[in-house]
Amino acid sequence: MAAVATVSSASGLLAMLQEPAPELKLHALASLNSVVHLFWPEISTSVPTIESLYEDEEFDQRQLAALVVSKVFYYLGELNDSLSYALGAGPLFDVSDDSDYAHALLAKALDEYASIKTRVSKATEEEENIDPRLEAIVERMLEKCILDGKYQQAMGMAVECRRLDKLEEAIVRCDNIQGALSYCINLSHQYVNHREYRFEVLRCLVKIYQTLPNPDYLSICQCLMFLGEPETVASILDKLLSGSKDDALLAYQIAFDLVENENQAFLLNVRNRLALPAPVPSNPDTGSALQDDQTASTGTGAETAGDVQMRDDTTTPNGNAHTVDPNEVAHADRLTKIKGILSGETSIQLTLQFLYSHNRSDLLILKTIKQAVEMRNSVCHSATICANAIMHAGTTVDTFLRENLVVIHFYLLPLHRIAALAISLSHYGVVLQEWLSRATNWAKFSATAGLGVIHRGHLQQGRALMAPYLPQSGAVGGGSPYSEGGALYALGLIHANHGEGIKQFLRESLRNTSAEVIQHGACLGLGLAALGTADEEIYEDIKNVLYTDSAVAGEAAGIGMGLLMVGTASEKASEMLAYAHDTQHEKIIRGLSLGIALTVYGREEESDTLIEQMTRDQDPILRYGGMYALALAYRGTANNKAIHQLLHFAVSDVSDDVRRTAVMALGFVLYNEPEQTPRIVSLLSESYNPHVRYGAALAVGISCAGTGLSDAISLLEPLTSDVVDFVRQGALIAMAMVMIQTNESFDSRVGAFRRQLEKIILDKHEDTMSKMGAILASGILDAGGRNVTIKLLSRNKHDKLTAVVGLAVFSQFWYWYPLLYFISLAFSPTAFIGLNSDLKVPKFEFLSHAKPSLFEYPKPTTQQTTTSTVKLPTAILSTYAKAKSRAKKDAESKANQEKTTEEASGSTSGKAAKTQEKDADAMQVINSYLFLHCSHIFKDSWTPSTNCISCCSKVDNTAEKKAPEPEPTFQHLTNPARVIPAQEKFIRFIEGSRYVPVKPAPSGFILLRDLQPTEAEDLALTDAPSTVAGTTSNTAAAAGQQGSGSSAMAVDEEPQPPQPFEYTS
Amino acid sequence: MDPKLTEVAQLFARFKAAYARNDLDACVTLLSQLKVQLTKFPSLPPLFQQTPNAVEELKLARDIYEHAVVLSVKLEDQDAFERDFCQLKPYYMDTCGIIPPSPEEYPILGLNLLRLLVQNRIAEFHTELELLPVKALDHPCIKHAVELEQSFMEGAYNRVLSARQAVPHETYVYFMDLLAKTVRDEIAGCSEKGYDSLSISDAKQMLMFSSDQELHQYITEEHPEWEIKNGSVFFQKAKESQPCKEIPSLQLINQTLSYARELERIV
Repeated sequence: MAAVATVSSASGLLAMLQEPAPELKLHALASLNSVVHLFWPEISTSVPTIESLYEDEEFDQRQLAALVVSKVFYYLGELNDSLSYALGAGPLFDVSDDSDYAHALLAKALDEYASIKTRVSKATEEEENIDPRLEAIVERMLEKCILDGKYQQAMGMAVECRRLDKLEEAIVRCDNIQGALSYCINLSHQYVNHREYRFEVLRCLVKIYQTLPNPDYLSICQCLMFLGEPETVASILDKLLSGSKDDALLAYQIAFDLVENENQAFLLNVRNRLALPAPVPSNPDTGSALQDDQTASTGTGAETAGDVQMRDDTTTPNGNAHTVDPNEVAHADRLTKIKGILSGETSIQLTLQFLYSHNRSDLLILKTIKQAVEMRNSVCHSATICANAIMHAGTTVDTFLRENLVVIHFYLLPLHRIAALAISLSHYGVVLQEWLSRATNWAKFSATAGLGVIHRGHLQQGRALMAPYLPQSGAVGGGSPYSEGGALYALGLIHANHGEGIKQFLRESLRNTSAEVIQHGACLGLGLAALGTADEEIYEDIKNVLYTDSAVAGEAAGIGMGLLMVGTASEKASEMLAYAHDTQHEKIIRGLSLGIALTVYGREEESDTLIEQMTRDQDPILRYGGMYALALAYRGTANNKAIHQLLHFAVSDVSDDVRRTAVMALGFVLYNEPEQTPRIVSLLSESYNPHVRYGAALAVGISCAGTGLSDAISLLEPLTSDVVDFVRQGALIAMAMVMIQTNESFDSRVGAFRRQLEKIILDKHEDTMSKMGAILASGILDAGGRNVTIKLLSRNKHDKLTAVVGLAVFSQFWYWYPLLYFISLAFSPTAFIGLNSDLKVPKFEFLSHAKPSLFEYPKPTTQQTTTSTVKLPTAILSTYAKAKSRAKKDAESKANQEKTTEEASGSTSGKAAKTQEKDADAMQVINSYLFLHCSHIFKDSWTPSTNCISCCSKVDNTAEKKAPEPEPTFQHLTNPARVIPAQEKFIRFIEGSRYVPVKPAPSGFILLRDLQPTEAEDLALTDAPSTVAGTTSNTAAAAGQQGSGSSAMAVDEEPQPPQPFEYTS
Repeated sequence: MDPKLTEVAQLFARFKAAYARNDLDACVTLLSQLKVQLTKFPSLPPLFQQTPNAVEELKLARDIYEHAVVLSVKLEDQDAFERDFCQLKPYYMDTCGIIPPSPEEYPILGLNLLRLLVQNRIAEFHTELELLPVKALDHPCIKHAVELEQSFMEGAYNRVLSARQAVPHETYVYFMDLLAKTVRDEIAGCSEKGYDSLSISDAKQMLMFSSDQELHQYITEEHPEWEIKNGSVFFQKAKESQPCKEIPSLQLINQTLSYARELERIV
C-alpha cells in the first residue's frame, strides 16, 4: 500500500448529514470537524444544514455542530458569526489549541469582550448584560496566560478587558513584580484611552505598590501625580526624608522627576503639605528665602563635609550655630532642599547655569540676518529680534541685543550694580543706533518681551532685570506703554509656571493701569506666571479687563484666563463662551476661544460636550477654538475619535482658518506617536488648499519636534519651496522644530536646510512672509544656545503641560506676532545634570557610546560662507587655474609638514617629529585623539607621562600600516553634559566611578550616590549668572554677564567687574 | 478475520438476501444498520487509517454503498440516491491503489450522470464528466449518458426519447422515464419564448401529449400563467416586455448632490 489515500471532497460527509439516523449525522459531524480546514469551501454551502442541527433541541451533539459552523465562518472571514457559534460550542472550543482558528477567535473574543466592557462602563443606568460564556472564555484565557508565565500578556488583556481584579492577580502572581508594575504603568499611558479608566488602573497599581516590602517610590509618585493626590506624595517624601541618606537622595530624585512634569498646581500642593522646617523664617517671597537658606547651609565646603558626617553619625556634635537636635537640623535641611526642588527653583537655577555655561549660539548667523534684513521691513525686523530671543532662550546672554537694540542701556542696567543706581529715569528713550530705532510700538513690546525669553528662569533677578521698563507707580509717562506692557509679558515668561513670587506684582500692575497695551502684557504675564493655578482672585482681575471690551486687552485677557485655568475644566469656560458670543471684537472672541480650549487641556472625554458646543457654533472663530479644544483635550493620546473628528473638519469646514487649525491640531493629538503623523497628514500636505498645507506642515513640526524624524523631513522638504508664501513660512518653522539639535552628520539634510535658510534671508526678492519664517527658523534651529530641544513629553511619558500650552499659544502667531515667544515654554534643556546630596554638581564622567560627531554642536558659521554666496563667479582661464592649483598644492603640503612637526613637539613626543609620513594629516588626528584620551585617564595628576608618549609613538608605528581611523566610537562626557535625545540610548555609566546614579536615566536631573563621602568633592558649575550675595531687590545685579561677546565664557572665574562702555547718542 | 468485519459481512449478506427477495422495507432497515456499523471502521473515508483489514473493509463498504445506490433507484428516491452516491464517491475517487476498481463503478457513475441530466443540472454534469478519465468515456454506460446530453443540448429530443429503448443497464429505465419529463419542460420553455400562441393541437403534439386532457393538466400544474382561449394557448409574452417608465428622480438627485458634496471635500 504505497499510495496513501486522501480525501478529495467532503461531499460524502455532507451527504451523510442528511441521513435520517442520528449516529450517522454525528459521525459525519465529527469527521467534518477534522477536515474542515481543507474543505471549508465545500462545507460552506451546507452551513444551513449544520446550523439547523445546532438549533435542533433534540440533537445531542449541538455543540459539535456549533464548532463546525464556527470554523467554517472563521474560514469565510465572518469572525462575528464565528465567535457566536464558538461560544455555542461551549467546552469544545479549546482555548489552548494552537491553531490559527483558535488564535483568531480568541483575539476576537477578547476584542468583543473589551468593547462590551467599555460600553458597559459608559452606559450609566442601563446595564448591558455580558454573555457569561464570553466572560468564561476570557477568564479561561487569562488564567492560562498566568499559568504559562505570560504575565505581560495577561496584564495587557486584563487592562484591555477592564478586569482590574485579574490585573491585580496577574501582577501579584508575577515573579518580577517591579517589572510588571512598570510595564503596567507604561501600558496605562500608551494604550488606555479613557481617562477615567486610566485613573482606575493607576489607582490599582498604586495599591499594589504600597503593599510591596520595597516599593519603587519613583514610580508610585509618578502615578500619584497623575492621579492628583498630593497628600500621599507628600507623606512618602516626608517618610523618605526622615530615612537614611540614600532615602533622602531618592526623595530628591522623586522631586526632580515630579518637577519635570511641570504641573505647578500639584507641586505647590505637595510643597504646602510638607511640614514647615523650623529654621526657615517665613517670608512671602519663599523662592529667594529658600535660596538664601540653601546657600547659607551649604555655603562652604567645610560645612558641607560637616553636614555629611553629621548624617552618618548622629552623635557627632555639630559645629553649627544651631543648638537643636542634629537629627532635626538634618531633617529641616533636607526639607528645605526638597521644597526648593519642588518649587522648581533648584532645577531652574541649575538649568540656567547649564545653559549659560554651555551656550554655543552663533552670533554670526544673527549678524548675517541683521545685515540682510531691510530697514523698513518691520516684520523681518521683529522676527530678527524674536530669533535672537529664541536662540538665547534661557541663557541670559543678551549680547546681540545690547549691541543692537534701541533700549540698549536698559539692558545694561542690571549688569552694573552701581550703574543701576546711578542712571536715572532721564536717560530713558535715548536712541542709540539708527538700526535700533526701528522698534516702535508693538515691535517695542515684542523686543522687551524677548528679554523675558532670554532670561527665562532667572527667577531671582527677573524683576531687577526688567525694572527699568516696568511701569513705575506714581511716575506715569516715564516709559512707553509698549515697553511697559512688554516688560510685564517678559516677567510672565521669566516666571512661567513658577510665578509664586511675581504674581502679586503683576496683579498690582494690572490693576493700576488703564492703558490697554499694558493690560495686554499684564494679562499674558499673569496667565503665564499663574499657569494652571486656577486662582480666583487673579481670574476676577483679568475678567474685569475683559469686560472693558477693548480689543487689544480683551484678547490677552481671554488667553490669560485660559492659561490660568489650564486643565481645570471649570465652569468658567461657559462664562467665557457666553462673553465670546456677546462681544463684537474678533480679537476678543479669538482670545477667548483659545482660552476656553486651554481650560479643557487633558480632560479627554470630559470635555466632549464643550467641544461639541464649540465645533457646532455659527461663528468660525469659535469653531476654530473648538479645534484647539480638541487638540488640547486629547493632547498626546492619539485618540482615534479625536483624529477622526479633526480630519472631518479639516476637509469639510467652510472656513479656511478652521481647516488650517484642524490639521494643525492633529499634531497635538499625535505627539506621543510622532512616527504616525507624517503618514496621516501626508495627503493633506498635498491639498490644493494652502491653509491645509500650512496646517499639515505645522502638525508635523509640532508632533515630530526635536525628533529629526526622516519621514517628517521628507514631508516638509517640498513644502519649504511651496508656491504660497505662508506655506513656506510654516514649513520652514516646522522644519526647524523637527531638526532642532540635529546636526549635519546625523542627517545631511540639516546642512542643506541651513543653507536654504541663509539663501532665503539673503534673497532680496523673497516674500516677507517666508523671509520671516526663515529668520524664525534660524532662531529655533539654534534655540537656547543649541542646548535645548522641544519636548512635549517628559522622560516618564507624561505630557509636559507648559510645553504643550506653549506650543498651542505659539501657533497663534498667525494672528499676533508677540505670541511667538510662547515657544520658549516648550524648550527643555538637553542635559545630564548629576547632583550630590547637597544638590551641587560634582565632577563625574560617563560614556557616550557613539561617534562624537553624530551629536556635536553644529560648526560655527564663518564669515567666508556669508560673503561667498554673494560673490559672482569670475571667469578663470585654464592656464591660470592650473598654475593656481599647483601653487595651492605646494602650499598645502608645506602646511601639513609644519603642522606635523608642531603637533609632535607639542606632545613632547620626540619620535613623532622624526617620522616622515605621507599621510601626515590622518596621523595627526589619531595622535591628538590618543593624546587627549590619555589625558583623560591621567587627568588627576596630568603631566606628560611616559605612558602617553609611548602611546603616541605606538600610533606612529601603526599609522604606517593601517588606514586612518578618523573618529573614535565613544566619547567621555563630564557632568553636567549636553545629552541630546537621540544620544540618550548611547549613554553608559562607567563602573567603579565614585558616584552612582540613583536611577539609571540617561538625561535630566540625576541624583548621584557618593561612594567616597569622606573625600573632598570637586564641583562644577560653581559659577552662574545668578550668584548673588544680596537678597532680591532692585539693587541686585547679574554679575555673571561679562561684557564680551564670546559665547564660550570661562566657567570657573569670578564675575568680572563690568567693562567700560560708552553711550553714544 | 476481524469479528466486527464478520459481523458487518453477515449483516450485508442478510441485506443481499432481502434485496434478492425484493423485500425493500427490510432492505432499508438493514441498510441503515449497515451504515451505522460502517462508521466504526477507521479505515474508511475520510480518515483512511491503514488498519490491517483496510482492504477488506474498504471493499465491503464500497459494496454496501453500491447496493445502497441501486436500492435508492429501485425505491425511486432521488434524494437517497444523491446521498448514497456522494458517500460512495470517495471509494471510487480516493482509493485507487488500495483496492481494485469495482465492476459496478461505471454503471453507477453513468447512472449519476443521468440523474444530473434528469434534474437538468448541466453544469454539475460536466464537472462530473471532467473528473472521469478519457478511457471511461468509451464505456457504454458513460457513453450513453454523454450522447443523451448531446442530443438534449442540440434539441434532438426525439433521439433522447428513443434512447429509452437502448439502455445499457436495467436500473437506467427509471431515470429515462424521468428524462421524458425534463425534455417536455425544455420544449415548453422554448415554445414560450418562440411563440406568442400555439393552437391546442400543435401544443399537444409539441409537448408530446396524447390527449387535450393531459395538456390541460400539465398547463395548470406547471405553467399557470399560460392562457387557453379560442382553441389556442397564449404565452403572454407581452406582459414581460412592458417598459419601465418611471424615472428614479429622487435617487438621481440624491446621488448628484452627494457627488457635489464629495467634490467639495477633496483636499
